[in-house]
Amino acid sequence: MDNNFLVIENISKSFGDNKVLENINLNISKSEFFGLLGSSGSGKTTLLRILGGFEKPDTGRVILDGIDITNLEPFDRPLNYMFQSYALFPHLNVFNNLAFGIKENFTQKEIEINVRNIAELLSIEHLLNRRIKQLSGGEQQRVALGRCLIKKPKLLLLDEPLAALDKKLRSKTQLELTTLQKKLKITFVFVTHDQEEAMSLSDRMAIMKNGLILECSSPEDIYENPKSLYTANFIGIANIIKIYKKDENFYSDDLGINFKLSKELKNTKTNILLRPEKIKIQSINNLKTNSFNYFSGEILEKSYLGSFTRYEIKIKNMIISVLDQNFNSNSNYNFPKGEKVICTWESESIKILED
Amino acid sequence: MKNKLFEKYFVFSPYFWLVLFFFIPLAIIFKISISVSEWGMPPYQAIFLFDNGFKINTTFENYVYIFSDYYYIGSFVNSLILALISTFFCLLIGFPLAFYIATSNIRLRNILLVLVVIPFWSSFLLRVYAWKIILQNNGILNVILLNLGIISEPLQLLYNQYAVIMGIVYTYLPLMILPLYGYLNKFDLNLIEASKDLGLNRIKTFFKVILPLSVPGIVAGSLLVFIPVVGEFIIPEMLGGSDRLYYGKILWEEFFVNRNWPGASALAFSGIIILVLPIVIFQILYSRWSQKNEI
Repeated sequence: MDNNFLVIENISKSFGDNKVLENINLNISKSEFFGLLGSSGSGKTTLLRILGGFEKPDTGRVILDGIDITNLEPFDRPLNYMFQSYALFPHLNVFNNLAFGIKENFTQKEIEINVRNIAELLSIEHLLNRRIKQLSGGEQQRVALGRCLIKKPKLLLLDEPLAALDKKLRSKTQLELTTLQKKLKITFVFVTHDQEEAMSLSDRMAIMKNGLILECSSPEDIYENPKSLYTANFIGIANIIKIYKKDENFYSDDLGINFKLSKELKNTKTNILLRPEKIKIQSINNLKTNSFNYFSGEILEKSYLGSFTRYEIKIKNMIISVLDQNFNSNSNYNFPKGEKVICTWESESIKILED
Repeated sequence: MKNKLFEKYFVFSPYFWLVLFFFIPLAIIFKISISVSEWGMPPYQAIFLFDNGFKINTTFENYVYIFSDYYYIGSFVNSLILALISTFFCLLIGFPLAFYIATSNIRLRNILLVLVVIPFWSSFLLRVYAWKIILQNNGILNVILLNLGIISEPLQLLYNQYAVIMGIVYTYLPLMILPLYGYLNKFDLNLIEASKDLGLNRIKTFFKVILPLSVPGIVAGSLLVFIPVVGEFIIPEMLGGSDRLYYGKILWEEFFVNRNWPGASALAFSGIIILVLPIVIFQILYSRWSQKNEI
C-alpha cells in the first residue's frame, strides 16, 4: 500500500504568540480513514484547515499524491472539506448545493446525472427540490457530504462530521460513513474530540495535545498499549496506579500491594495502567492465595449498564473502576454496595506508562 | 383585559405615527396642489367657498402645468439619474468597506464603525462646505497638484455634476455602510471557504455566494441612499453648477422664489407618488421573493 499518499512534513503554525502546531509529521495511506483526536485547543482543526488550504503553515509541507500542495489555494486543491456547520448555501436548493462544485466544467445533462447518482448513493433523491432550511440535521449532513463527494476528491477532510447530530442518529451515521468510505476508497481525514467516534471510525488515529501528536496508531493499539499518561486517560476509562521499586518488587502505596510486572522497567518509579474490563471481580470466599496481582476491597458504588456493571471499588487510599460483563442471566452483577470483593488480573494486562 | 388593550394600541402605534407625520401632511400638500393660485397670503384660494352658496373650488391645472413643461419633468429625471449614480458609487465603495468591517476582529471592527459614524457628529452643512474649500480653484487639492507640477493651471473641480456626485457619495456613504454591515455581520464565513473548497475562485465566489446572500443588505442600504438623494437640495446648491437642474432645487424655487404654492405642492405630491409607489410595489414583491428563497 502507498504509505505516502498524504505526507505532512514538519508543519508548524502560530497565531501571534500562540503556538498552535509544532513540527507535525504524519504519513497517511491511500484509502485510509484517519482520525485526528484531541480536546479543544489541541490544534487538530488548524491542522485540518491547513490541509484544506484555509490556513498557511509557518513551516513545513503538505504533499498529496506526490504533489506539493502547501501553497495551492483551496480552489486548486484536489480535495474537499466538510465543515462542522456543513456550510450549505441557504440561497440554493439541495440540487444546486450538490451541483455547486461541478457546474463550471460539466454540461447540464452531466450535472443532472452526477447529482442523481450522488443523491442515490446517499439516499437523498427525494430532497433535491428542498430548501436547506427544510432539512433535518442528518439530511443536511448528507447533502454536505454529497456536495464534496460529487467532485470525486482524492482526499476528503471532515471537521467533526457527526458533532451536530443527536446521539441515536450519530451511531447510525457512523456506520454509514465507514461503509461509504470503504466503498468509495477515498482517503478520509477527520477531526473529532469524541474518543468513541474516533475509535469507531478510524483505521488509524493520532492523539493531539497542545499542538503535538502524542501517538499515532490503530484504535486497538492506542487503547491497549497507550504510551503516555495523557492518552491512557483520554481514551476510555483508566485506572492509573503509581508504583515504585521496593526490594525486588514494585509497590503501590495507594493500594498497599505488590505488583509483578511482565516487563523490566527503566525507572524506579512509574505509572501503570489497568483497564477496568481487565479486572475480574469475585466473592471474597473464593480467595486463592497468591501474593501478587490481586487486591481485596469494598464496593463503594455500582451502576448497572446493561451489558456491563460498573463498580467503584475502594481499596486503601484509592478507588478502582471495574467493568464486569453480565454474561450470566442472573449472576455477577449482584454484588451489593458495601460487599467485600476480590479483584484479580493477568500480569499482561498491566501497561507501563513510561512517559 | 387592560394588557390586551395596551397591546392592541401598541401594535398600532407605528400606524398612528405614519398617519400623523406622513398621511396628514401629504393630504395637506394634496389639498394645496388642487387649489387655485392667487396673490396673497396664503397664495392660494380656499377649496370650499360659502359666499354665494356652497361651491367647491378646485383645479388640476397645476398638474397639467408641471407635466406639460419639460423644465419640471427634466429636473426630476436629472434627480433620479443623480440618485442612481450616487447609489451605485455608494454601493461600490460601501460594500467592500462593510464587508471588511464585518469580517475583521472585534476590536478593529468597533474602531472602524466609530470612524464611519464620526462624520455625523459634525454639521452636515459644514462638511459640504469643507469640500467646497478643498475643491475650489485656489483650494487645497489644486494647490497641491500645482506645487507637484502635475498641472500647470487650476482645474475647475467645483460647480459641476461630478462635484455633486462626489459630495453626495461622501455624505451618504455611512447610510449605505451601516445597513450593509448589519447584514454582512451575520454572514457565515464558512460559506466563502466552502465555495472556494468546491473550486470557485475569489471572483466567482463573490458573484455566486457573497452577492446573492447580501441582497437584503444591498436593498436596505440602496433605498436609504436613493430616496433622500432624489430630493437632495443642499449639496447640488453648494457644489453644483448651473449645468443641471435638480428636483429639490426646483421645488425650493417654486415655493420660495415664485411663491407658487399650488404648483410646488403638485410637484412635491407627484414626486412622492412617482417615487413611493414603485418602492412599495418593489418591497411587496421583494418580501415575497425573499420569503420564498428564505434569505
